[in-house]
Amino acid sequence: MTVPALRVSGLSVWIGSGADSIQVVDGVSFDIDPGEATGLVGESGCGKTMTAMAILGLLPSTGVRVSCDHIEINGRDVSRLNTAQRRKVLGRDIAMIFQQPATALDPVFTMGQQISAVYRRHADGNQRRAHEAMLASLESVGFERPEEIAQAYPHELSGGMRQLSMIAMAMVCKPAVIIADEPTTALDSSTRALILHQLQQLQALHGTAMLFISHDLGVVRQSCRNVMVMYCGRLIEKTDCQNLFSHARHPYSAGLLSCIPQLGATRPGRISSIPGQVPALADLPSGCHFAARCNRSEPRCSESTPVLDAQDKKGVACFRPL
Amino acid sequence: MSNSSLQTKPPMLELQDLSVSFDRQRQLAVDRVNLSIQEGLTLGLVGSSGAGKSSIARAIMRLHDADSGKILFRGEDILRMDPREMKAVRQRIQLVFQDPLASLSPRRSVGQTLLEPLQHFALGDTLSRQEKIRHTLHTVGLDHDVLRRYPHQFSAGQQQRIAIARALVTDPDLLIADEAVASLDVSIQAQILELILDLQKDLGIALLFISHDLAVIRQIADEVAIMYRGQLLEQSSADAFFSGPAHPYSRALLTFASSAEPPRLPDGNWNLEQARSAMEVNASCVFAHKCAEKMPVCEQLEPRSHRIQYRDERAMEPHCVKCHLYDEATGNEN
Repeated sequence: MTVPALRVSGLSVWIGSGADSIQVVDGVSFDIDPGEATGLVGESGCGKTMTAMAILGLLPSTGVRVSCDHIEINGRDVSRLNTAQRRKVLGRDIAMIFQQPATALDPVFTMGQQISAVYRRHADGNQRRAHEAMLASLESVGFERPEEIAQAYPHELSGGMRQLSMIAMAMVCKPAVIIADEPTTALDSSTRALILHQLQQLQALHGTAMLFISHDLGVVRQSCRNVMVMYCGRLIEKTDCQNLFSHARHPYSAGLLSCIPQLGATRPGRISSIPGQVPALADLPSGCHFAARCNRSEPRCSESTPVLDAQDKKGVACFRPL
Repeated sequence: MSNSSLQTKPPMLELQDLSVSFDRQRQLAVDRVNLSIQEGLTLGLVGSSGAGKSSIARAIMRLHDADSGKILFRGEDILRMDPREMKAVRQRIQLVFQDPLASLSPRRSVGQTLLEPLQHFALGDTLSRQEKIRHTLHTVGLDHDVLRRYPHQFSAGQQQRIAIARALVTDPDLLIADEAVASLDVSIQAQILELILDLQKDLGIALLFISHDLAVIRQIADEVAIMYRGQLLEQSSADAFFSGPAHPYSRALLTFASSAEPPRLPDGNWNLEQARSAMEVNASCVFAHKCAEKMPVCEQLEPRSHRIQYRDERAMEPHCVKCHLYDEATGNEN
């Protein structure tokens, strides 16, 4: 049995303190094997990004409470590291690609300086070798003239080029795990295809495990083999992408799928949408959080909580799955 | 609506050779575009970032001056109107933007936001205005108890509903939606698209729907126009377009948009660096540098707009494409 590249078990996050605290992530557990891409899908505010930030240990220490059984990267628990130890892990073993490259990059350094800095801190302090690694990384994401990109400041690049540069920065130390948080949301369709293509190539080449966060099931289907659906802080379905699209088991997953507009020679009929709204996190109903919007719910759905098998790759948290 | 009535009615809005530039005419954002929107129908305007879609919307509202050409609204040129005439047109054409929170004033309650257009255009009296506001909120699926609340107290989907209500409160004939669902989650996007389709059916308004997402356009548009670098490359009925896109760029866009398979790059040069350096080159076909079907003539001569001839039921609907591939094939394409 292989050791998963990333193992998260029992991760919970609360915002605020005492009686007023709001639980935004509720008992999230999953494994991602080396070379595997897993999508984390859900609507805005369901806790996707909080999950990523908690894994990386980037949440502030005040006002936020994180609890977990363990978070392992290649079998090593990183959940109880101190700041100095954590710095050695971030960027080397696990890296993040953010949604907004414009705000995640430093405007006063060139792309080359920013990417080499990561390499020099983690891999090799030698300036010349870091420079070479930086150029190689820029080339690997598909830039034909990496020297030009290296000399450019972030504002001189287009949105797509910035995102590719950020991928080059995340990949420069060839981490075991990358977390991509909505990496293509702000981009148009041709740039999006290019970036997903490059990301997939690199991931296959280096055997990197990827947690791919997106609200767009279509994009997840294109880039991931497995998928996890999140609703109100809980994972409600885990399966492989193909299975989700052909046979979603949780009524919420099925609802999300039916919202995707379809392309075709004939104009599609009525768009279906999920009735009702996502409940406020401060005022979550007991039992299954989706019960009130679900057309299959029965009394026990709001009395007790259906649970997902923690470390299994497939499962559904529902009493009456489809 | 039958195709023949589509042909005979004069268009509600017609752009004739419209050009718009920025930076003292150094950057042509819209390049001699001809387009028309029929009463009560939806035109989907598609293109990647920077294609000039929003510049067209802004030129129609006279938020940015056009360089040349005409914008005919029910036969009258908007660009030649004085401020008084323009004010009357603005009541008839309303705009919904991409980011609802940025387009609503944070200091105004929903009630105040919806009251302002009515006051500005001097529509109704105090009592009927309140009635109109309640009615409009109801149309977009909001309760009147939202009147005293402020934009930040709503979710993104509700904010977009408020922005749509603000646009509808003056009873416009044409609604311009500029990427109005692009920043929303798919589930919320589905709700807003559903709302727009319902509104159009009930109110009979025409819609200029700007989007980079072809799947969204498929849901909502009767006609499709494809833009690239300021130029209109293809225009057609939605059914004809989606059953057989004619321009190589349109075909590439459809490849990008299909989410069924792993990301596949269409043939042609989609490198981002190339795109940037080619900005300065004045190629004769704007798409030549990326085109998989490029011929020598494409870099020498600007293509004409060809009308594709159909022999089946699509023959009534004009399907125009600006591409050298159709120089000789015009009339043979079926």
